[in-house]
Amino acid sequence: MTVSIAPPVPAPPEAAPESRRQRRRKERLAARDSEIPIELYGLPRGTVTLLTSLAFLFALFTLIPIAWILINSTKTQANIFETFGFWFASPFEFFHTFGLLFQNVDGYGTYIQWFGNTALYAVLGGGGATALSAFAGYGLARFQFRGSRLVFFVIIAALLVPITALSIPLYLTYAKAHLINSIWGMVLPSMVSPIGVYLMRTYASISVPRELLDAARIDGAGELRIFFRVALPLMVPGLLTVLLINVVTVWNNYFLPLLIFNINTKYPLTVGLGLWSNRAVNSGDANLYPMLVVGALVTIIPLIALFLILQRYWRGGMLLGSIAN
Amino acid sequence: MRSSWIHRRDRRGVWFVAPFLLGFVLFMLVPLGYAVYTSLYTYRIIGGTSFTGASNYTATLENGLFWNGVIRVIIFAAIQIPVMLVIAFFFACVFDLGVAKYGTFFRTVFFIPFAVPAVVGAVMWSFLLEPQFGPFTRLASALGFGNTNFFGPNLILPSIIVIVIWEWTGYNMMILYTALKSVPRDVIEAAILDDTPLWKIIVRIKLPLVRPAVVMLIFLNTIGALQLFTEPQILEYFQQGAISVNYTPSYYIYQTAIAADETNLAAAMAVILAVIIVLISALSLIARRRRGEFA
Amino acid sequence: MPAIELDNLTKVFASGVTAVDRLSLDVADGEFVVLVGPSGCGKTTALRMIAGLERVTSGTVSISGQVVNDISPRRRDVAMVFQNYALYPHLTVYDNIGFALANAGVQKAERDRRIRAAAAALGLSDLLRRKPRQLSGGQRQRVAMGRAIVREPKVFLMDEPLSNLDAKLRVWMRGEVLRVHKSIGAATVYVTHDQVEAMTMGDRIAVLNAGILQQFGPPADLYARPVNLFVARFIGSPEMNVYQAATDTDGALVLGSQRLAFGQGPAPGRRGEPVVVGIRPEDLTLGAPGDPGALTAEVRAVEQLGSELHAFFAIDARPPGGEEATVRNVDQDEALPGQAHNGVARLDPRSGVRPGSRVTFRVDPARLYFFDPATGQATAWPSGQPGQPAPAASASATAGPPP
Repeated sequence: MTVSIAPPVPAPPEAAPESRRQRRRKERLAARDSEIPIELYGLPRGTVTLLTSLAFLFALFTLIPIAWILINSTKTQANIFETFGFWFASPFEFFHTFGLLFQNVDGYGTYIQWFGNTALYAVLGGGGATALSAFAGYGLARFQFRGSRLVFFVIIAALLVPITALSIPLYLTYAKAHLINSIWGMVLPSMVSPIGVYLMRTYASISVPRELLDAARIDGAGELRIFFRVALPLMVPGLLTVLLINVVTVWNNYFLPLLIFNINTKYPLTVGLGLWSNRAVNSGDANLYPMLVVGALVTIIPLIALFLILQRYWRGGMLLGSIAN
Repeated sequence: MRSSWIHRRDRRGVWFVAPFLLGFVLFMLVPLGYAVYTSLYTYRIIGGTSFTGASNYTATLENGLFWNGVIRVIIFAAIQIPVMLVIAFFFACVFDLGVAKYGTFFRTVFFIPFAVPAVVGAVMWSFLLEPQFGPFTRLASALGFGNTNFFGPNLILPSIIVIVIWEWTGYNMMILYTALKSVPRDVIEAAILDDTPLWKIIVRIKLPLVRPAVVMLIFLNTIGALQLFTEPQILEYFQQGAISVNYTPSYYIYQTAIAADETNLAAAMAVILAVIIVLISALSLIARRRRGEFA
Repeated sequence: MPAIELDNLTKVFASGVTAVDRLSLDVADGEFVVLVGPSGCGKTTALRMIAGLERVTSGTVSISGQVVNDISPRRRDVAMVFQNYALYPHLTVYDNIGFALANAGVQKAERDRRIRAAAAALGLSDLLRRKPRQLSGGQRQRVAMGRAIVREPKVFLMDEPLSNLDAKLRVWMRGEVLRVHKSIGAATVYVTHDQVEAMTMGDRIAVLNAGILQQFGPPADLYARPVNLFVARFIGSPEMNVYQAATDTDGALVLGSQRLAFGQGPAPGRRGEPVVVGIRPEDLTLGAPGDPGALTAEVRAVEQLGSELHAFFAIDARPPGGEEATVRNVDQDEALPGQAHNGVARLDPRSGVRPGSRVTFRVDPARLYFFDPATGQATAWPSGQPGQPAPAASASATAGPPP
């Protein structure tokens, strides 16, 4: 005996156009649907609350220094040290101190100039590193020339070489070649990024199919054209990850510029703030500590903002995929 | 026997790798070579620079201060790395399983310190831990631990450990979280149907499957820890005398090269430090290979 | 009491998609029930709700008479074979099979005995020390089965276990799965999109489309008495030929420009009305223009399989309009524009039919299927089968508004 049901399938109604919030909510619910329901783990009641509290505590730990900087960037030096660290105190000095960042106070260097330097080094160095890594990664992934394995091993070996061990030799070399205080002395070594080449090679071998390249060659395209028109567009997510990593690395670099720059107009932010930390204790200038605090704040705002905006595009998966290999 | 078209095509790959290789030679190999070269000489006020062979090396290897610094960073790494990885793995698991609320928000917050340069992180914490005026010092007093000096000889290393954990846990957690997410969902569902308790799912299934990522993180963190420099230096700026000149090998090298202007000796020390680090890294890579991590 | 009973089981995802819509069926002890349908029809979702891996929106799942909606999958005593096998990659075959037993605290000796017995039953005894990545697809599939059978559960669930295997292996494994099922004797729910697997393996088959159960019954029923156009076209390969047609007052079938006169009239009570007629490819034989039920067609393409010949032909009849026209069997490719065939016939391999030629088929009125053009419901089945479809009145009572 068969059972039949089956009314004819009605056509679905025209979907009303969705607002962004509705779409975002749907994405979130869909994401939750794609995870294993936590009831299946058999956890005792209250576990979720406990774990959320622990996460909250660690978040507090993470945010305390940032909160402190935000609040104390508005204080005078005396107040920084004497008033309660996590609440405001009058007078409200933020704008005054912020203005000082544009001046060269007591010859200890101009913050805004350091900011410009850092941006310059990071963009040139990070951008250059990404470009070189893209070329080299593509070349290693998609061409089997003699010595390509050797080069790859050399790159792996280069990953092992610690940055400190490299900075001193660079300093010595620059001293000899009169490259101390040269911008290129900072930018050019930053363009050599073994981790970038490693990541781009991995990404290229995953996302650029050989057949596509061969098809382009048969169509008569030259290698460079193929690289820019066929391969590179496929590597864009990896490029962005490598770009982000390299820019952050150069932005945060401390040891190398500390060694190779000795006039403070060339300092990046890291070295400049270090200088102020050094001088603030001994100098009588009552502005240095507030400037240090405000300067630290302004230093981290762009990167944090960048991260928060880019966090939905963050290809942690790619970073990890290469690491796990 | 490959066809010559393929051979010719493949050789073009060299051009793509050439710019990087050029930079690599100029800015990694040449300086390293020059450092080794410099390390074999010594400059004396009387007599100038002369070839002294291995004497800088023997001087360093026999220098107790140097080795104290090495031991100190090893101890530092041995404490900081496991603590940080446990915290990172704990939260990575929690967020991967979805057993805490607001996971996305917390993950973003935890990752913020990665956007903070080490200098700035050290500066912020120096203010917080400042022995006379810092909020944490005041808190310690209020709790009955008067006279806590976070920069004093007893607490300076723990303070540095806390700072470095603050800086790096989020990054490590993100890597581990991504690794955990790549464990196939149906394997976990199979484990649930097999009535596997949660602890066993984490320890016996998820953890072994993310072991390559864990090993790589240990590797990366170790290399970083052994080169510890920035945080101690900043703390020293805030409180003179907080660290000794040989506190970490990198710091000792820096002082030797800049403050004492003994560049030859510093070059030798840099080479020795590099060798130590490369040895430790290579050992860990070989250990990985033996256990079949490269499968 | 049935081993498994689904009562109006419904699943609506948070995104608003209704994956399973009021599904009701039962599985007896020891029965092999197949859930079949095109991709996205909800069969896997239904299976996962039986397992407890998906939350139920409404309706109930009962195992051995007990409603298990709120019971964790750990306690339901069901074992599942996943489509991608879901083996523990870092464990050996031995440990994979024995994992659940270890969790349950079974003693080592007993565990070893059961693992080896399951491995022997599946031909895995030589592979116990290997890890999944050292196994072929078929071997992994058997390990997945071994992991399930070693638990001796009340219910077996299988989610397209053979779909990742190559064709020849699949045919062999069908037999193996059934053999294992017979020896274990537990109720089994088997999900597949392949109607051949469904027809050859199932004691009863449930055909689903877009979350709605179309028909549930033994294979022969689905073949000979499909309840609607969807089931008629889904079951049987190549797919049934369907056309808009009409019966004229003399009892002949009007198909395009051709008029097929039979000795006696086809489906009673439908004279003069438009109808959708279905002819299975295997029910078309070659004939001559003067035969009763003669249908002339242009052969567009021919596939010579050796054991049979598929002739792709065109006649000037139109396919049914509306939803039914867009429903396709997943095994069949979409016709490319310009290809212009609208029918297939299965003929003797030596019939010598050539592309570009005109052939005359002989249509046997006793082998025709009739469907309502508005609702797609069957109105008449090939005669000689017991029973007839429900009369038009009650069919349209359950039907929704016409598309």
